[in-house]
Amino acid sequence: MKKILYVLMALLTTTVAAQSPKAKSGLFALTNATLETVTNGTIANGTLIINKGKIEALGSNVAVPAGAQVIDCKGLRIYPGMIDGGTGIGLLEIGQIPQATDQRETGDVIPQMKALTAINPNSVVIPVTRVSGVTTVITRPEGGLLPGQAALVHMHGYTPDQMFAGFEGVVLNFPNTGKRGFFDRRTEDEIKRDSDKALKQLNEVWDKAIQYHRLDSATRGKGVSYYPELQALLPVVRGEKTLMVEANAAKDIQAALKWLAERKIKKVILTGVAEGWRVAGDIAKANVPVVTGPVIAIPTRDYDRYDQAYANAGVLRKAGVKVALRTLQTENVRNLPYHAGYAAAYGMGKEEALKAITIVPAEIFGVANILGSLEVGKNATLFVCDGDPFETKTQVKHVFIEGWQIPMTSRQTELYDEFLQREPGVSKN
Amino acid sequence: MRNSACWTCLLLALSLSLSAQDDLPPVTRTYAITHVNIVQAPGRKIDMGTVVLKDGVITAVGKGVAIPPEAIVIKADSMYVYAGFIDGLSRTGVIRPKEETNRERPKDPGNPTPERAGITPQVDVRYALNPADKSIEDLRQAGFAISQVVPYGGMLPGSGALILLSGKSADQLVIQTKSALYAELTGASGVYPNTVIGVMAKWRDLYRNAVQSKNYESLYASNRSGLERPVTDRNLEAFYPVIDQKIPVLFKAEKLLEVQRVLTLKNDLKFPLTLAEVKEGWHAIPKIKASGASVFLSLDLPEEMKKDEKKDGKKKDDKPRTAAETEKEQLEKRRAEAISHYTAQAAAFQKAGVRFGFSMLNAKPKDVHANLRRMIAAGLSEDAALAALTTSPAQLLGISDRAGTVDPGKMANLVISDKPFFSEKAKIRYVFVDGAMTKLEIKETKKSDPNAKVEIEGTWNTTTQSPQGTTTGKLVFKKDGSGYTGTASSSMSPDPFPLKDIVLEGNALSFKYTMSFGSRSIDVEISVTVEGDSFKGNTSVGSFGSFPVEGTKNPK
Amino acid sequence: MKKIILLFCLLGALRGQAQDKGTVLIKGGTVLTVTKGTLENTDVLIKDGKITQIAKGIAAPAGTRVIDASGLFVMPGIIDAHSHIALDAINEGTNAITPEVHVADAINPFEVDIYRALAGGCTISHAMHGSANSIGGQCQTIKHRYGVLDGEQLKMEGAARTIKFALGENPTGHGRRDGVQPQTRMGVEFVIRQAFAEGKEYLEAWDKYNKAKLTKGFRGAPPAYSLRLETIADILKGNIIIHCHSYRADEINMLMNVCRDFGIKRVVFQHTNEGFKVAPELAKFGAMASVFADWWAYKLEVYYSTAYNAAILARNGVVTSINSDSPDLIRHLYHEAGKTQKYGNLSDDEALAMITINAAKQLGIESRVGSLEVGKDGDVAIFNGHPLSIYGIPQITLVDGLVRFDREKDPADMRLLVDPKETIDIPTIHKATTHNHENCMQNMEWLLNVKMFGLNR
Repeated sequence: MKKILYVLMALLTTTVAAQSPKAKSGLFALTNATLETVTNGTIANGTLIINKGKIEALGSNVAVPAGAQVIDCKGLRIYPGMIDGGTGIGLLEIGQIPQATDQRETGDVIPQMKALTAINPNSVVIPVTRVSGVTTVITRPEGGLLPGQAALVHMHGYTPDQMFAGFEGVVLNFPNTGKRGFFDRRTEDEIKRDSDKALKQLNEVWDKAIQYHRLDSATRGKGVSYYPELQALLPVVRGEKTLMVEANAAKDIQAALKWLAERKIKKVILTGVAEGWRVAGDIAKANVPVVTGPVIAIPTRDYDRYDQAYANAGVLRKAGVKVALRTLQTENVRNLPYHAGYAAAYGMGKEEALKAITIVPAEIFGVANILGSLEVGKNATLFVCDGDPFETKTQVKHVFIEGWQIPMTSRQTELYDEFLQREPGVSKN
Repeated sequence: MRNSACWTCLLLALSLSLSAQDDLPPVTRTYAITHVNIVQAPGRKIDMGTVVLKDGVITAVGKGVAIPPEAIVIKADSMYVYAGFIDGLSRTGVIRPKEETNRERPKDPGNPTPERAGITPQVDVRYALNPADKSIEDLRQAGFAISQVVPYGGMLPGSGALILLSGKSADQLVIQTKSALYAELTGASGVYPNTVIGVMAKWRDLYRNAVQSKNYESLYASNRSGLERPVTDRNLEAFYPVIDQKIPVLFKAEKLLEVQRVLTLKNDLKFPLTLAEVKEGWHAIPKIKASGASVFLSLDLPEEMKKDEKKDGKKKDDKPRTAAETEKEQLEKRRAEAISHYTAQAAAFQKAGVRFGFSMLNAKPKDVHANLRRMIAAGLSEDAALAALTTSPAQLLGISDRAGTVDPGKMANLVISDKPFFSEKAKIRYVFVDGAMTKLEIKETKKSDPNAKVEIEGTWNTTTQSPQGTTTGKLVFKKDGSGYTGTASSSMSPDPFPLKDIVLEGNALSFKYTMSFGSRSIDVEISVTVEGDSFKGNTSVGSFGSFPVEGTKNPK
Repeated sequence: MKKIILLFCLLGALRGQAQDKGTVLIKGGTVLTVTKGTLENTDVLIKDGKITQIAKGIAAPAGTRVIDASGLFVMPGIIDAHSHIALDAINEGTNAITPEVHVADAINPFEVDIYRALAGGCTISHAMHGSANSIGGQCQTIKHRYGVLDGEQLKMEGAARTIKFALGENPTGHGRRDGVQPQTRMGVEFVIRQAFAEGKEYLEAWDKYNKAKLTKGFRGAPPAYSLRLETIADILKGNIIIHCHSYRADEINMLMNVCRDFGIKRVVFQHTNEGFKVAPELAKFGAMASVFADWWAYKLEVYYSTAYNAAILARNGVVTSINSDSPDLIRHLYHEAGKTQKYGNLSDDEALAMITINAAKQLGIESRVGSLEVGKDGDVAIFNGHPLSIYGIPQITLVDGLVRFDREKDPADMRLLVDPKETIDIPTIHKATTHNHENCMQNMEWLLNVKMFGLNR
């Protein structure tokens, strides 16, 4: 009996796999769904119309337009696409193979390096990510003090331009007084020496950037020579571009806030913030938004409570900090809803945790006009699932990115389809 | 890397240069110490008696003892005499082998030579002794007369020897060779066995092989006819006296986990065991007791927390503390508690009725007195402390017939202090080793003036005299609130290292820093007396010893 | 302030509990037995560390501590079939073959990771040697009796002997760096076959010698003793279960062939990312598989992975467990197991079996633990929601009937031993956008470092 079921299941999945793997656009009507708008509550038994890439209408009394492809979502829920505030997708394909990674350029001060340039739209990771409802991610460079610019990209598109979701930020790894992992054997003094040196370097770079800005302003760009590092920092100095400041140790967060305040830098996001719970009040007071994570992580110190990393986002939120989440993952960005689920369970609450992976990051990255909630006029970047998306039991049924209906397959599902009942198998005797 | 090599050279230079000293022989080897309080052994005391020494032997002890006419008389008015102290484990006077820097991994790291793997149990420390090494004098001046010394090396560096801390030649120093087979749970870098699990497996393999080959050798010796010749093996043969229970394995085991691991080996293989340099053994007392192992506790203690650390968080005012302050207070409290466990280790062993001696592998001789006092403050009785310095190690090392008490017939090993040894201000005035006297001058160092006012901010040029030659350096001090920050650089390490624990009291200045070269680091402690724009004092450089240092301030 | 007092209470209580066994009645919970279904509103009685009764309305014997579990979920203590916590040394990776080493010699009962695993309901882990060499060291199944001060007391008494093998990139990478075999998957097979063959000769030589010794007047030299070959001989005799680090289908197949040739039957494949490709072969051999829920892509040999691996293996009849290989994941194996419901729609019992009874089978301890059954050890995890739900949080964890974790009485600082020289304000920031190292490869940092200086781990 069971066996027949599997055969049936296999058949079903085969049919799905036989679909064209291309995304489709057009006019869609998602009917009979529970609409989790995030910004305007829950609409039971609602309809959502997707047209020309946008949410054209949504509500409980929305008529299905003629010619629309109807997707019956009875018993299903619709959420805005999940946004991960920090990943390596597109830059890292196979972590241990240098030729398959493009995340670290050499040089400590290279803010002109753009992640967007090197994001591989054909990464196998992208379909794996999007079929779980994660539609949009920040991809960030890593490395030294100013390793380059992060970009917000959709998990769909054939070129970086098509994937680009409207935000780029300059990454600053604020001088770190913590250890980098079990392999970091630096002494307390050495750590201090390194971070002091980095801070000195940062101050020098910033002073130069300000000089460059003054000269550039005074001469309307004619009195300055080619200086790619400073040219990349210019929009940050002028408050036109966001500085994404990575700081994790409590002391470093405080030092970063002080540094930012002293230099009156306008557009800032604090990222990482692993020990934010220790200084939540300071962050709230500084009124700087935060992208924190991974949530599912071990505490930063042996004497910290075991669940401190899970609880961090909730503590920050309760202190009044604007909090978005990130997985800081590449191949498993698909686990973003579970990171949110842990944050929810350990003090943040479901509603705030959902916001922290939808509307809040959209706001922080300045794209709330098109992303982050189910609202008329916003991009149709959303997913349909059969339950609470934070639960591992829940299956994502459909994904739309900017109105494109995404095929629900990835190499991982394809391998499942091929091998659940392998042919030829093995005779039992 | 180059810098590390420099330090190795420095060390070698040091040990060679000191051997150039030459002393005139003493006029007589007979001494009478009179009017002295004699603590013959813990609990055995003679007030105001006399001790007579002749040719390296104690010949008379007591009141009304006749003083031989040829004796040099030391009027030790109201001083205290004790048996010379005995150290259970150190490398005093042992020449450190030349360290091969940048040692490449061998072709087949899984099968290195025994030497490369740190397996040299056949080495006899006797051949690595330098009687002129300064460490001998340093330890003697701390009151020690005998030390069990071991060679440098890896998991099985060789056999130890009992040496006297005075003598002109290696042979004169040694009172017993092959006193123990010395072992550590130290892996070989980059080759097998590299980790503690490798070392323990190799131990079992070696020991069982030794047992098997020893048995076969006896079989062969009983009747050689028709039997395959046993191949000699210097590594395995070194275990034979252990297998015969004639000498113990002397295992360094500082940490609790090391103690437990060594006991696991002992339980597996049943060898006689002496645990040494135990620092963290209090939780293992029942297990040690049950094993019957002998114990030498380390005389090294973690530094006490500085006063400002202790005070931190405990604000006098009633302001509500921040979470960070509360947390810090808790952490400091746990750290203080941890330190107190180390300090109370000896008392715990005493309470449990385990006989123990002390070992000096890591402790600095100059800290011995203070550390003993810390242990006593933590509950160790003075008698037990004295026993652990004298009678207990004598027994554990099997030399009670010769050493450990002030009794006629014993070796003339004595330590004389101006006050009861364990009292705060006691200073050692004389040490006798094998009848040879060392008189300690109470150093009238240029007294620092606690009320003097000096300004150290600025850049100082320093010169340090070491046997390798003169090293120049630069110190930079900057005012930071009520204290100072600073950096040190030198001709050896142009990159500046940050100074820490800068204390300026009157014109007495002290500070520390850590030089690091790759994964290796050397702690440097400097204390000087400042006079105007110059200072003089001492610098102690890791385990290399301490050297005079002078400095002058650059005019602004 | 209250918290501070609790700290010392719980730490004190933990320290007091050596190898004691507890008696406790867990009342009125939803009992997830794993092997015998789910029992609503049911009591579990543990006496002296063993489960003595599972029924409704058990009266508490006088003096027995009662835990009110109404509204809570009671499941067997979680078992992690692949972990490296509580070890001071993981890899003796200097030689391709090091079966003589045993991680039991490196147990560190003071690692706070043990407590954190308990806080995730995990009561037993398989402390494994690393994967740097083809035949690594012997492993140790430990019970998370956090609070004991001697590694010996963490060992699960009576647990089966196990040993680590490793195939693929890790051992071949080691060979390449050292210029020795193996540098290919061909070499890995040869190195293992060679060790088995030498072990067989050793066994035979000793058998012969021991037999000859029985004859009167025998005089002769014994064969050379080797702890290494002694251990291989024990594998050949079937006394040690092989736990083999493996990823690719071909290498999994290879080891099954080698074992078949030498008559070795007890094999558990670890990681087994491509186990799904040879699931029928694994099932036929009787080999088991212990896998990650979703790890992949951190190296080439896991690029062609699928998170549906566990489901495919299970559906093909392979006894499969989900493991952690990580001090992070060991705290939420219930969540990792939950992912088998997303990737393959496993039932609750099937998913829970992956972190309980199946792991127990792989470690040869299924008669003792892995389900809630009368006669088994009192290792229990109590959750405030279903353990497979993201919102289920472990509340109380018992080992041998003793409460070793209680969320309500849980202070922050649970270190048993404090370093007197510790630096207080230095956090460790784990930061990487990929799962960038396997814990398997710890102690192998020197491989990256040709010039070594003073590294003695």
